[in-house]
Order: sequence, then C-alpha cells, then structure tokens
Amino acid sequence: MEFKNFSLFINQSKVARFTKDLAEGKIMSTVCKKCGRQYYPPQADCFSCMESEMEWKEVPREGRLLTFTRIHVPPEHFAVRQPLMPFSSVQFEPCPIGLIEVEKGLKIMGWIPKVDIKKIKVGMKMKASPFTLPDGKLTIILEPLNP
Amino acid sequence: MRKVAIVGIGHGKFGVRSDASLRELVFEAVKACLEDAGVTLDEVDSMVTGVACDEFSFGIQPSAQVHDYIGFYPKPNYRVEAACATGSVALRTGWMNIVSGLADLVLVVGVEKMTEVSTSVATEIMGRAGDAIWEYPFGTTFPGYYAMIANAHMAEYGTTEEQLAMVAVKNHYYGCLNPYAHMQKEVTLEKALTSFPVAYPLKLYDCSLITDGAAAVLLASEERARAISKKPVWMVGLGLATDTLRLGDRRSLTSLSAAREAARVAYKMAGIGPMDIDVATVHDCFTIAEIVAYEDLGFCEKGEGGKLIEARETYVGGRIPVNVDGGLKSKGHPLGATGVSMAIEITKQLRGEAGSRQVKDPEIGLTHNVGGSGQIALVHIFRRE
Ligand SMILES: [Zn+2]
Repeated sequence: MEFKNFSLFINQSKVARFTKDLAEGKIMSTVCKKCGRQYYPPQADCFSCMESEMEWKEVPREGRLLTFTRIHVPPEHFAVRQPLMPFSSVQFEPCPIGLIEVEKGLKIMGWIPKVDIKKIKVGMKMKASPFTLPDGKLTIILEPLNP
Repeated sequence: MRKVAIVGIGHGKFGVRSDASLRELVFEAVKACLEDAGVTLDEVDSMVTGVACDEFSFGIQPSAQVHDYIGFYPKPNYRVEAACATGSVALRTGWMNIVSGLADLVLVVGVEKMTEVSTSVATEIMGRAGDAIWEYPFGTTFPGYYAMIANAHMAEYGTTEEQLAMVAVKNHYYGCLNPYAHMQKEVTLEKALTSFPVAYPLKLYDCSLITDGAAAVLLASEERARAISKKPVWMVGLGLATDTLRLGDRRSLTSLSAAREAARVAYKMAGIGPMDIDVATVHDCFTIAEIVAYEDLGFCEKGEGGKLIEARETYVGGRIPVNVDGGLKSKGHPLGATGVSMAIEITKQLRGEAGSRQVKDPEIGLTHNVGGSGQIALVHIFRRE
C-alpha cells in the first residue's frame, strides 16, 4: 500500500505506513517514547526533545466539528474533465470537508459525504472513519453521530 | 540602529497583463520608481527581488530574469519568497541590507505573472500554500482555508455574509479610484451576495483576483534619504511571525496568531499602539481576512470586525481607513508584488499624494501582509517627518 494512495502527490516518507493502517480501518498517530508527545498527523520525529524514537497509537475518532466548507472551484487535481461524449455534461456536486477535534489539540480533517451543507453546523458531534474509494485510494470521512 | 526610509515608489498597472512578461512588468515599475526618486540605477547599491512561485515564473531563478532585463549585473540581487507575503519579506530584506551597513540605496522589487497558466492550475498551485501531504488530499484550496476561518468566525461571533460582502463593496469602491487597480468596477451588496459560490460561504466577490503586476520601492539610509527626498517615509516598526503549516494545528481558527504576534512586535518597535495608526493596508485576500485583520491589529475588539465595516469605520473619514487603494480584492493580488504595493499606497498617503482617496493628513501608516493561510505574517509601520 503506497503512501501516495492517501497523499496523492508525495510517496516517500518515514510515516508511509499510515496508509497501510488506514486500509485496515485505523487512523494512527505517533507518540514520542521519551516525552510522550502525540502527533496527528503522524511525525517520524519529536520536536519537543529532538528524538526519533516513536511508537504508533490509534487516535480517538469521535469529536465536535470545529469548522467546514464546500469547495466549488476545485484545484486541477480534482477538477471535472469535460466528458468526451458530445451533447452531454457532468453535474459537479462537490463534497463538503470539515475539521473535528477529538481530543484537546488533536484534530482530524475529512470529507463530509451524505450531509446537506445547510445541515452542517459548527459544534455538531461527528465520527471520523477511514474510507476506501472506488479507485482504491484511501481517505477519511466524517459522519454525524446521532443525537 | 541605522534609520531607513522609502525615497522612491513605482507601481505598474495591475491586471490581466497578456501584453507583457514578468521581466517587462518589472521594468515598468523600476523605471517609475527611479523617476520618482530622481536617481539612476547606477547609484543603487543592491537589489532584492520578491517572486512567490517558480511555477508562475517558469524558472527557478526569477531574480536573474529581472537583473538581466534591467541590466543591473554584477551588483547584488537575489530572490526571496514567503508565498503571498513575499513582497513584505523583500522589503524587510532590503531594510536589513541598509541597517547592516552593506548598502545605502536598495531597490526592492515585487512581481508575479499569474495569468500565463489557467485558473484551475493557478488554483492548484496556490492550494499547495497549505500542507501538500496532509490537507491537499481533501481538495483544499486557498479560498477553502479562508472559508473554514469564515465559518468558524461566523459560528463564534455571529459575523454575517452581509458583513463579508460589505468589505467587497468598500474595496471595489476604492479600486475605482485607483488607476493601477485590476478591477475598476463598483459592486453592490446584492450583487456580491448573489455571486457564484467559490468555497462556502465565500462567493466570487469575497475573493481577491488572480493578477499580473509589479511594484518597486527604493530604500535609503538616513544620510542618502535626506539628500534624495523632500518627503522620506521612515520604516519605524517591523514585525514578522510564523504559525503552523496546517490550519488544523492552530490554537485559534478565528484569528491569525502570526499576524497578532507580528503586530505586537512592530507596535513595540515603533513605540506606538493600534489607536495611533491613521491609515492601513491589510491582507484582504478574502473578505473574511480583512475582518480578521481589523481584530488581529487591534483596530477593534476580537469578534467586532464585522461591526466595524458595518459602521463604515474603515472608509476614508472613518476611525481607521483600511485598503483605500482597493486592497487585494479590487486592486488585485500578484503574490510577490502585493507587499510592495501596500507600502507604496502607505507612502502615497503619508506624502499626501493619494488624490481622490487621500486620508486627511495622516502621520503614521501600517501594512499587514500574510503568507498562505497564516503560516507567516509581516506588519510594517511607516511614519512621515
Ligand atoms: Zn519527545
């Protein structure tokens, strides 16, 4: 499982195994063995004590939505290509994204599929989950928790 | 510490400049700057070139395109970069050249040629101003980051989409009074509110423009400034601060910590406070950014930025006129040129040469220039004699 399956651009990193864990249904952070500082997204190195002895730890996945948006003008990578068939068009319905805080200072970004933008509210309770897309790429989604 | 003043300004026409290349845009600004100062290029000791992006400049050494085209070699010139804050970093570097004693007369150039690539390519390039590994996989764009700041600000302080649109109305109004601005068109509140969505809740008229343009200033040591200029504008406070790469790692989503810290440092160095500022240019890459800037600079209390624009306090004649040159919103935002352009407007205001958008007798001006979604910010304070 290549790191690029998640990161899209960059394939070479000391924390490339993040993708393998994501494929197995886990969202992982790293924790410094010396000082206990936790990093999400994972870092291979600890800036608190300048050490590189880290261990992997699953993050909590439930939290509150801090903010969100829906990007209508996507970057080139996500842009819709014109269909090759004449007299046809593609309807572009962008998916919202958001940021949830699962622990003090630990925040997870993800797509918010299945929720109408008007129903998304800052503060709502959500759960982050790994998700495998139809093309095999891996990502993270955020879903509302039932009140 | 040696004193440094702006003694010459040159602003090229901002816009979709399909008639000119990067180096040709720079020539226009440099020529105007030298004429304004009344000096020749032979007298200039060194130069700093601000260009934000290699993918726009089609080369890894855009500074060489510049010094070659204006024939500045073999004197010192190099490129500096800090995304959208590149121009202010160039100015700070020029200032350091003089303070250090390396030079007495320094030409600072900022330029970006952005429209050679398509809008979607430009959007992607600027989207990478965030974290290309951990954020870009979620389709983040530059407007997307500020949209997330806007939604957080609206949820916490009740800031409204109407208040965001009011920033656009003001800046388009002043853009019409600035002959160098990209957009010379007023916009109504209704038109701004009904324009097409870019990144919810930001709409077309909440966003700055993809623009070509160049700007140049000439900096001088005190001795040279007094010999050259009748109206030197002194750089009396400089602040630069940084923040996390990712929006998700910020302590606050409703302010830019880097801008608050840069402002604190600059005010302290100048020995003044926010209430002493007579005119300001701030980084309104998006309308929400101007509202956050009011708060980060101390022009109003935290959360009161929306009310400040609603009360028209940032128009000429208000408590603190902001972006009366049209701002990034209407003047345009050629990344590397923006910080230099901001300093030019403040210089014009302090010299009393801003024409129909002149603030009444200002003594102290401020520029606020932010890189990316707040990873770096610079605040500069200027004072006339
Ligand atoms: Zn550590």
